[in-house]
Amino acid sequence: MNHTIPRVARLALTLLAAGAMTVILAVPVLASHLVVRTSFPSAATVGESVSLAVDLGTADGAPLAGATVTYYLHMSFAGVEGEGVIGRAVTDDAGVAAIHYLPRAAGLHEVRIEYLAPDAATVEEVLGTFDVAGGEQLVRSSGGVDIPGINPGLLMAVLGGVWLILLSVAFRLVGIARASGRADPPAGAAPR
Amino acid sequence: MESMIQWRTRLEETALAPVRRTSKRYWALVAVLLAVVGWGLYAYSIQLRDGLIVTGMRDRISWGLYIATFVFFIGISHAGTLISAILRVSQARWRTPVTRIAEFITVVALICGASFVIIDLGRPDRVLNVFIYGRWQSPIIWDVLAITTYLTGSIVYLFVPMIPDLALFRDRLTGRTSRGRAWLYRTLAIGWNGNAVQRRSLAAAIGILMILIIPIAVSVHTVVSWIFAMTLRVPWDSALFGAFFVAGAIFSGIAILIIVMAILRRSYKLHEYVTEKQFVYLGYLLAAFAAIMIYANISELLIHGYKLEEGADFHLRQLFLNDFAPLFWFYLLGGLVGPIVLMLIPATRNIGGVVAAAVLVTVAMWIERYVIVVTGLRVPLMPYEPADYAPTWVEWSILAGGLALFALLITLFTKVFPIIAVWEVAEDQEATIAPPHPASPAVPEFPAPVGG
Amino acid sequence: MDRLNGDPPDGRARDVLPDGALTVEPSTGRRGTAIGRRRVLHMLGLGALAVSPIPVVPELMRIAQSGRAAEPARGTRPPALTQDGRIRQWTMIIDLRSCDGCQGVGGPPRCTAACIQGHLAPEPMEWIQVFEEELPGGGSRFVPTPCMQCQNPPCNNVCPVGATFSTPEGTVLIDQDRCIGCRICMAACPYDRRFFNWGEPPVPPQARLADYSAEHQVPARKGTVMKCDFCPDMARAGTLPYCVQACPNRAIYYGDLEEDIATNGRAVVPASRFLAENNAFRWKDELGTEPRVYYLPGHGEAVGRDAFSPGRAATEWPWTEIVEGAETWSR
Repeated sequence: MNHTIPRVARLALTLLAAGAMTVILAVPVLASHLVVRTSFPSAATVGESVSLAVDLGTADGAPLAGATVTYYLHMSFAGVEGEGVIGRAVTDDAGVAAIHYLPRAAGLHEVRIEYLAPDAATVEEVLGTFDVAGGEQLVRSSGGVDIPGINPGLLMAVLGGVWLILLSVAFRLVGIARASGRADPPAGAAPR
Repeated sequence: MESMIQWRTRLEETALAPVRRTSKRYWALVAVLLAVVGWGLYAYSIQLRDGLIVTGMRDRISWGLYIATFVFFIGISHAGTLISAILRVSQARWRTPVTRIAEFITVVALICGASFVIIDLGRPDRVLNVFIYGRWQSPIIWDVLAITTYLTGSIVYLFVPMIPDLALFRDRLTGRTSRGRAWLYRTLAIGWNGNAVQRRSLAAAIGILMILIIPIAVSVHTVVSWIFAMTLRVPWDSALFGAFFVAGAIFSGIAILIIVMAILRRSYKLHEYVTEKQFVYLGYLLAAFAAIMIYANISELLIHGYKLEEGADFHLRQLFLNDFAPLFWFYLLGGLVGPIVLMLIPATRNIGGVVAAAVLVTVAMWIERYVIVVTGLRVPLMPYEPADYAPTWVEWSILAGGLALFALLITLFTKVFPIIAVWEVAEDQEATIAPPHPASPAVPEFPAPVGG
Repeated sequence: MDRLNGDPPDGRARDVLPDGALTVEPSTGRRGTAIGRRRVLHMLGLGALAVSPIPVVPELMRIAQSGRAAEPARGTRPPALTQDGRIRQWTMIIDLRSCDGCQGVGGPPRCTAACIQGHLAPEPMEWIQVFEEELPGGGSRFVPTPCMQCQNPPCNNVCPVGATFSTPEGTVLIDQDRCIGCRICMAACPYDRRFFNWGEPPVPPQARLADYSAEHQVPARKGTVMKCDFCPDMARAGTLPYCVQACPNRAIYYGDLEEDIATNGRAVVPASRFLAENNAFRWKDELGTEPRVYYLPGHGEAVGRDAFSPGRAATEWPWTEIVEGAETWSR
C-alpha cells in the first residue's frame, strides 16, 4: 500500500509536469503561428543609415504580406526613459518589411518591433539590439550672417585708403609750413 | 567806385571785428547757453546715477529722443559737405561767404551728435569696449569708423581753407590780443605768407579734400541709416534708407545753415557779404531738397501702403491717423511742402521767408527723426498691445543741453576764428570785377599791390 | 604768368618780402621761424600718425586675440557632449495642443513663474512669455515664447562688441560684463525676447557673491541686456530647464538635435519624427532667423481648453519681495 500511492502520485506528477512542460513549450508555437526573422546590422556608425528588416511568415513557411510593422527604439534623455517610434512599414509580398534608420546616438540600440498580421487582432512583438559606434558631428550651429568676400580686409582697405589720402593732405600742409621761408607775396595781398 | 583795396580792407575789418570787440550781449548769450548746458549736465548726472530708468524708454520702445537727436545732429553736419564741397566742386561762387560757417557747423554738429550716442548707452563706462572688442560686422562699428573719419576730415577741411585767414589774424592782431591767442594764430597759420609754392600746396590740398569729403559724408549718413535698416523692424526694413537719410541730412543741413547764417549776419554785420542772394539761393536748394524728400517719402509710403502687409498696416495707421498723426502731418506739410510754397511765392522769396522755411524744416526734421525711431520700434512684434513712449524731463533737459552746446560752440568759434573766408570772398570779388582773360592784359581798377 | 597762383602782374618773380626786406635763401631762412616750423611739422606728423590707426584698432586687437579662438565661448564651460563626443545642439519643442496658459490649473503660467524664480529675473522680465494669439478663424491660443536661439541671430550680427554670442551648442548667450547697453540687439530681435536692466536690478543678498557667467546670469547688471539662455548649465548636467520642469501639462519638450531626441520630463520622443508627424512650425520662419524653437499647432485642446476661452492670469515676481527697495519698471 505505501508503495503504490507514492508511485502513482509520482507518475501523476511526472505526467502533469510533462504535460505542463509540453504546454509551456508549445505556447509560442501555438499562440504565435507566425515565424519572425529579424535582420539587424552587425556594425553601425552614427550618421550612416542602416536597414532594419523583419521577415514575417506563417507557421507553414508562407510569406505573410500586408502586415503592419512598427519599430520602437528605446531612448533615454535627461533622466527620462522611454521609447519612440523610429519607423513604420508594411510587409511586401515576400513578407519582408524594412526601414532605413539613421542612428543618431552611439551605444547599444534596443529595438522592439511590433507587428500585426492583417487578420489578427493582437499585436505581437520581437526584440533585437545592435550596436552603434560614434561618428562625426551631424548638426552644426552657425553663429550668424556670413557674406563671402566681405571681410575685415576689404573694409580696412577702403578705410586705409581714405586715411592715406587725409595723410597726404597733412603732408601738403607740411609743405606749406616748410615753404614759409620763400618770400614772394601774392598778388592782391592786403596792404600792411 | 571804391578801390579793391578799400573793399578788401573793409572785408578784413569785418572779419577781424568779432575778435577785436566783444559786446555785453555776447557774454550774456554765452552765460545763458552755459546755464542750459549746465542744466543738461545735471540731468545727465541723474541719469548716470540712477540708470536709463529716468528716461521714458523701456523694453518695447528701447530707443527714443537720444538716438533721434543723434541722427538729427549727424544730419545737420552735412551742411558743410554740401556748401563747402559740392558747391566748391561745381564752382558756385555765391557760396564763398557762407563756406566757413558751414564748415563750423559740420564739426560742431558731429561733436554733439557723437555725444548723444554715448549719452544713450546703458554702460557708458564701458565705451572703450567698442575699440577693444569692436566687431566689424556691426552697424555701430561702421558708424564709429565713419564718424571718426568724417570728423577728422571735417576738422582738416575746416582748417585748411582757414589758413590764409588765420595768417591774416596773425598779422593783424599782434599786440591786440592775448599771448595765448597770438600763439594760436601763429601756430595754426603754419607760416603762411601767401607765396606761390604755398598757394599751390593749398589749392592742391583743398582740391583733394573737397573731392574726398563728399563720399565720406555720404557714407556717414548712409551708415547711420543702416543702424535702423539692418534690423528686421517693418518700418525700417527698406532698401531706400541710405539715400533717404543722406537726402534728409543735406536738407536739414541747409536749413540749419540758413538759420545760423541769419543770426551771425545780424550779430556781426555781415550784410554786405551775406546778402539776400545767398539766402534765396540756399532757399532754392532747400526747396529742391524738399522736393526730393517728398519723392522719397512717396516711394517709401506708397509701396507699403498699397500692399498693407502685416505691420505696415499698423505702422501707416499710427503715422497718418492715430498717435503720431499730428507730428507726421506737421513734418509733411510744414517741413516738406512749406519750403516749396514759401519759395514759390514771390512775397516770401526773401531773407525772412527763407529763414522761416529753414526754421520749419529744422523742427520738422527733428520730428521726422523722432517719428522714425519711435514708430519703428512701436509696431508690435508679437501679440501684445503697442507700448507708448514719452520723453521725461531728463531727456528734454539733455536735448536742450545738446542744442545749447551746439550754439555755444559756434558762438565761441566766432570769437576765435574768422567767420568769413576772407581770401575766398576776395577772390570771388576780384573775379567778378575783373574776370581773368588770358588774351588781354589785366586792367586793374586798383593799383597792383607792390610790396604787399 | 599765373595770376591765380599768385605771380604778380608785372611778370617778375617777387623777391621782396612783405615788409620790404630782401629775400633770403629758404635754406637759411630766419632761425626763429625755422624752429617754429619744425615744431609745426612735428605736430602735424605726430597728429596724423596718432589719428591714422583709429580705424584699424578693432581689427588689430582681434588679430592679437585670435589665437584664443579654440577656447570655449567666453564665460561658458566646455560644450555639452553626447556619449561619443559630439556637441549637443539644444532645441525646444512646444506642444501648443497641451498649453492652455495654465487656465486649467489657475494662476500665472507656471513656466514663466519657474523661470523668474530660478533665474531671479527682475520685474518685469519674462524670459519665457506666454502670449495669447488670436486665431485667424476666431478664438485664441496660448504661445509660450522663450528666446528662439536663432541660428542666424539678428542680435549677434548687430552687436558692436560681441557681448551676445553663440555657443557651439547653438545657444545665444549674453555676457553682461561686456555689454555696453547700446540696445541695438533689442531693436534687431524680431521676437521681443530681449530685456534691458533700465534701473538697478534687484539682487538678493545671497546672490551678490554669485560667480557670474554668461550661462548663469546672476547677479544682473544695471544697463545691460538679459534674455532666456536655454539653461545651458542645467542642460549640460542632464537636468531639464525650469520652464520644462514646471509645466503642469508637460507641453514643453527640451531636446538635442544632434542626437535627435527630446523629452518633456515624462515622455521621450525622437525629435525629427515628432516634429514632422505633428506639423511643427517655427515663429516668423520667413525672416530667415532659423530659430531652434519649434511649435506644434494647437490651442490647448489636449488638456481640455476651449478655443474661445480667453485670458490668463498676470505674471508675478514674488521673489523680489525679499529684496528691500527693489526697483521695477514697465515693459
